[in-house]
Amino acid sequence: MKTVTAILVVIVLLVVVFGSPFAGDAPIHDYHYGSLEPILPMSFAHVDHMQENCVVCHHNYADNTGGGLCMTCHVTDPAIWPLFEQQYHALCRDCHAEKAAQGVDGGPPRECMACHLGDDFP
Amino acid sequence: MKILIASFAVVFLITFLATPTMGAGWFWDGGNAIGFSAFAGLIYLTITSAKRVDVRAHLLLGYGVLFVAAAHVFWFLLGDAAAVEFVKVGAPDYMWLGIVSFLLLCVLMTIAVVPDRVRVHKNYAMFRYWHQVLAVAAIASATYHIVVSNFYLGRWYQGLLFVAVAGAAAFGRPYWITLKRLEIVPNSIFLLVSVIFCTLFVVVRNFPV
Repeated sequence: MKTVTAILVVIVLLVVVFGSPFAGDAPIHDYHYGSLEPILPMSFAHVDHMQENCVVCHHNYADNTGGGLCMTCHVTDPAIWPLFEQQYHALCRDCHAEKAAQGVDGGPPRECMACHLGDDFP
Repeated sequence: MKILIASFAVVFLITFLATPTMGAGWFWDGGNAIGFSAFAGLIYLTITSAKRVDVRAHLLLGYGVLFVAAAHVFWFLLGDAAAVEFVKVGAPDYMWLGIVSFLLLCVLMTIAVVPDRVRVHKNYAMFRYWHQVLAVAAIASATYHIVVSNFYLGRWYQGLLFVAVAGAAAFGRPYWITLKRLEIVPNSIFLLVSVIFCTLFVVVRNFPV
């Protein structure tokens, strides 16, 4: 049993360090969009979100906080950067999940790689 | 056999109480169905061990449950290149609790088998006590991992029911011990039931409407 446990732990560590040999293209964990810490890249296309009200994401249109691109503040401002992952999963992934719950094709509700390969992946 | 089917049915039915056709694609739903199977197996192992347990059957099924839990872990780690972020520093607490649950399973099984059991525990009573404590901790952390990840149990009453089922399995020993001795199924049956429930779970959630 100790051998089995050790083998499982070693495999997990190898996957963490070198990545999965079966998963295909992997996201590059790096300083994207001027982030303060390495983050995963993200995919987003306005054209896929035209049916949404702009202020759902662009809160600054309604509350006058911030401006410019989302990442201008959300990955560079030390005050709000720690909330980044939580906020974006709540905004993007949970909205996709709500659509899925309604039986509407509203984008990937869970699959990490569907969003995290990044728009600029070669 | 009835207890095994009941364990699987309860765990999987709770996920279907709300939004039964909501899926995240066959890959994601399949991996999570394997995780639910491991949890159902853990519940079953706990209930059937309350009274005069067949130690060898319990041990062998423990390996089966660990195998299915490992399949759940490696399904995502090897199949989705971004899922590895969930086992790194900064991962959400519910993912850490999933890892803790898996490690607890490994530990409680490792120190339950001779000669390590004799090295770690002074006597059999002490072993039984700590084996139960670790099992309850594994169930508790797995329950947190499942409920707080909040996809298939999106409504409050689903989470509550799931916690109630886990609590009944973990702390219902005074009741389970009043039942007659429960036979423990072999791994072949456990794996067959797992495959059936996983297939149903994936098909129902990804069947084009």
